Parts: sequence; C-alpha cells; structure tokens
Amino acid sequence: MTAFILARLMRAVAVLVFTVTLVFIVLRLTGDPAQQMLSDNAGPEALAAFNAKWGLDRSILEQYLYYVANVLRGDFGISFADGREVFTVVSERIPKTLIVTVSAFIVSILIGIPAGILAAMRRESAVDKGVMAAAVVGYSVPNFLLGLVFIFVFAVWLRVLPSSGSSTWSHAVLPIATFALFNAAAVARFMRSTLIDVLGQPYIAAARADGIPPWEIILRHALPNAAIPMVTTLGFVAGGLLGGSALIEPVFAWPGLGSGFVNATNTGDLPVVQAMIVLFTVFMVAINLTVDVLYAVLNPKIRKH
Amino acid sequence: MSKLLTVRDLVVEIPARNIKILDGISFSLEAGQTLGLVGESGCGKSMTCYAVANMLPRGIARTGGSVTFEPGGPGTGKPAVPKVAMIFQDPTSSLNPVHTIGYYLESALYRHQGLKGRDARMEAMRLLERVGIDRARSRLRAYPHQLSGGMNQRVMIAHALAARPQLLIADEPTTALDVTMQAQILHLLEELKAETGMSLMIVSHDLGVIARLADKAAVMYCGKIVETAPVAELLDRPAHPYALALIDCMPSIDPEDLEPPAAIPGSVPLLDSLPAGCHFHPRCSRASGECLARFPEPANIGFVHEASCYHPMVS
Repeated sequence: MTAFILARLMRAVAVLVFTVTLVFIVLRLTGDPAQQMLSDNAGPEALAAFNAKWGLDRSILEQYLYYVANVLRGDFGISFADGREVFTVVSERIPKTLIVTVSAFIVSILIGIPAGILAAMRRESAVDKGVMAAAVVGYSVPNFLLGLVFIFVFAVWLRVLPSSGSSTWSHAVLPIATFALFNAAAVARFMRSTLIDVLGQPYIAAARADGIPPWEIILRHALPNAAIPMVTTLGFVAGGLLGGSALIEPVFAWPGLGSGFVNATNTGDLPVVQAMIVLFTVFMVAINLTVDVLYAVLNPKIRKH
Repeated sequence: MSKLLTVRDLVVEIPARNIKILDGISFSLEAGQTLGLVGESGCGKSMTCYAVANMLPRGIARTGGSVTFEPGGPGTGKPAVPKVAMIFQDPTSSLNPVHTIGYYLESALYRHQGLKGRDARMEAMRLLERVGIDRARSRLRAYPHQLSGGMNQRVMIAHALAARPQLLIADEPTTALDVTMQAQILHLLEELKAETGMSLMIVSHDLGVIARLADKAAVMYCGKIVETAPVAELLDRPAHPYALALIDCMPSIDPEDLEPPAAIPGSVPLLDSLPAGCHFHPRCSRASGECLARFPEPANIGFVHEASCYHPMVS
C-alpha cells in the first residue's frame, strides 16, 4: 500500500515536470508576445526593447533554465499586462475558483449519486425514465448555454439573482448551479450504469438467493463495488469542473482562474498563462493522485496485491 | 422417507417476449434424497433451480404450476418454511470481491442463526474447517481473489451450510474446477449430505457427476423433463433417445474402447423457434409422423421410471 502510493507520487512529480517543460516550449513557439502586447504600429526598436526587457531574445533553453530556477524559488515572474507579481495575480483568483468548483462538485454528487441509485434500483420504471431524461437534457445542453439561460431566467426575467460579479454569496449561486446541474447529470448517468452493471454480477444473485434484503444488497454488496469505478468518474468530473471554469466564469464575469486564464491568453500575458497552466496541472495531478489512493483503499484487489 | 418438495406443472416464461423457458416441469424430492438434473446447455436446468429457490432473474416469471415445500411446523422438529441454499458454477465471481471470507460467513451466520461477534467467528472457523480449508483463522481475513477456485467453492459450501438448509441446490458446482478439485468437492457434498440429512438438487451436464451423487435423475430438453429414473436405471436402460445420446457422449477411459464418443447431431433449438411435437425429433433417428404432431405424454417405463417418448428404447 505504501509502496503503491509512493510510486504514484513519483509519477505525479514526473507528470508535473513534463507538463511544465512542454507548456514552456509550446508557448514560446506559438505567437510572439511582443506583437500581441504592443500596439500594431509599434516599431522594430520597441519590439526589440520589449523582448530584451523580458529576456525573450535569449535561446529557449536559456529561458527555460532561468524559468525553472525561478519557479523552484516560488518566483513565477512579472505579469506583462499590469507589472504585478504573477504569483499574486494568480493566487488571488484561486479561492474564487475553488468556491465555485468545490461547491458545484459537492452539489452534483448530492444530486447525481442518489438519482443514479434510484434509477438503477427502479430500472425501466417511470422514476428511471424521468431521471434519465433529465440527465440527458442536462448533459446535452452546453454548460455555457445553460449559464446564459439561467442569467436570462433568474437575473433578467425574475430579477432574483445577480448576473455577474462576485461581491456577495448570491453572486455564486448561478455559476454553481450551472456547473452542478451539468455535472449532476453526468454523475447520475454513470452511477446508474455502474450500479446496473454491479447488480448483474453473480455475487449479487448469490446474495439475493441467500435472502438478504434489497436495501442491504444495495448498501453492503452493490455500492462498495460500484464505488470503485465511480471514484474514477468523479475524478474526471472534478477535472472537468476546473477545465470548465474557463467556459463558465467568463459568462458570469466571475473573477476566478478560468476568466483570468482567458484574459491572459487573449492579451498574450505569457507568464500568467504559463503559471496558470502549471497550476491547473498541479490540480489535475492532485485529483488523479487522490483517485489512485481512493482506488487502492476501496479495491482489495489492489490493496492486497 | 418423507417428502420435502413437490414441483407440479411448473411453467416459467419471459412474459415480455412470450417465450416459455420451462414448460410443465413436474418432479418431487424426498428428504435426504439427491436429484440430478442433466441436459445440454440452455435446456432449463439452471432455471428450474432458480424457480425452486424462488430467485428467478428479473424479466423472467413463474406463470403456472406450483413449487411446494412440505411444511414442517410444530411437532415435526423442522422449521415451518424449509430453508433452501444454493451454490453456483463459478464460485469466485459468486463471492463479493470487496468482502472478506469472514464477513461473508459471519453475516450469513447472523442472518440465519443469530450468531454475533466471537460466536459467529468461532462458528465460521468451524465451518471452514468442516469444508476442508486449513488455517481457517487467517482465511477469515482473506478476500476471494486471494483464494483458488476450489477454495472459493468450499467457502460457498460453508456459507450454504450456515443457513442450515433442508435443500441444497448445486448449479454446476464443479464445472469451473479442475478434475482433482472436482472429485474433492463431490466427496465433500456427499459427506455433508450424509451428516446433515439435507436433500440435494444437483445440476450438471456431466453424467459422471450425476451418477456419483444422485439417487434419481431427470433428463431435460428444451424446457421439459423428458425422462426421470433412478440413476442406475437411467444409465443401464435409458428409454428416451436423448438420454441414450447423452450417455453415448460420455468419453470412456477404457483403453480397449477405441470408439470415439458419439456426438448428438445438430444443436439445441432456440426457445423462440422450438420444433412442433417432440422438440427432439429433428435430431432423433427414431422420429416418426407422430413425433412431429404432438408432444408425447410421460409414460411409465418401469418402476419410478418415466419417459416422454413415442418410441422408447425399452423392449
């Protein structure tokens, strides 16, 4: 078990190093930040001065080593756009994004898991068909569109919730709802199909033959098995929430990492883009590591070699 | 001997598709007796077991006939509703992979005998030792994937015993095991039956297994019992051509016998396109016009020996 977790940790670090390198190289090879940041009629001297100021005139290898050395000291450079420390620019956005994504994750589990269990237990019934129809709708509508619909209904039409900004808790309701409904639909669908699959296993038939009551079969025999693939799925959902923040946050002008990332990309603010990608990678690697560890905890086949 | 189970005209269907899986199955079982069900795959052996154990899969229902257990009740020293336990073909996938052997046995002992804690653990260990598993104490902490198929089948049997069943249904209990393990499991079942006095219903496509364990055998084909007889009688004097064909399929280990086992021509028809009359007629060398017209009623061939055939092979 310890060896397993240690191996996964090593792998996580390797993934991180690889991503940082890849992102660095790809970003340097695609587009010239000087041309993006400066106005179109900037002269060659201005461009050269910009490149010299930010060290962009040196070789990629040199820039890379310089960058890695600084990152290891916690220095992610200075934002091209407003001259502030990238570390500050990015870290003040982290809590905003976590509020939305973590709440949405919890809500989608609270809705999706019971709905999926209910649908699987009452398969082919009206309950099942209702839940699955709702899930298909929730899953098929693009989430930024759902966000616009919510803004129209709750902010423009009913005027009960603010449409943009982040100053109060009520501002968080619509982004969370948009995210949560979309993902609750996905979770419900996976939960249903996973549980149906488990309920078809011979050990469930054997448990029924032994006269174990249905609720105990679900709780003690089916769900512990269904939890194993569900953890993987929930890992994807968590990753999707982070990635999706780039789509959802701009819709609600929510000042999190997602809208920050979109801004930085549009303005060619290379140090910010780079730091955010590294941060997203850290999140993803952490999620995957959690999934791996939970997987081992839940699955005796991995736990006991 | 007292009667334990009577099955009369049992019909089991997939109602949604109007397909009969079992069509008028009748048999009875005495206390302490062993009934063997033989036949090719898909002829309804397992479904008969599920119907008797009242655990038909979803979408499949009993639509006719009756399954009656003789009531015990006060004065007989037996519980009012006889207990039925079942063991399955593939023991490893019939055990829940996330639970330990200990959890599996102890929860069954609590459910069936009200045993808890230390009592349950001691009894679980005793059961494991009884079914021939050594180092029982440490096995209680093992998961099914850490044990072999044969060991898991022993665990299944121990689990079945925890219910103190009057009837143990064994659905192809040795099919997934290698030959030496097969012999050990059959021996164990024989011993346990003698010890507890329970009845046994054993399903197998292997006549050797049936011959070893069963007192009487029922040969099934396409959802019907086509012949019932004491096992020795069935092997010596099969009346139904299908029963004879099954016996001829058994490979011989006699070095003098150089003839290859005879295969039955054709294959079991699908349940939604059964041939009219006797379902076996397209594969039968003795079929006549009669056989195409109507399914033959079971007729007495000898003492407790019945066959559904217009042309039984008994002089």
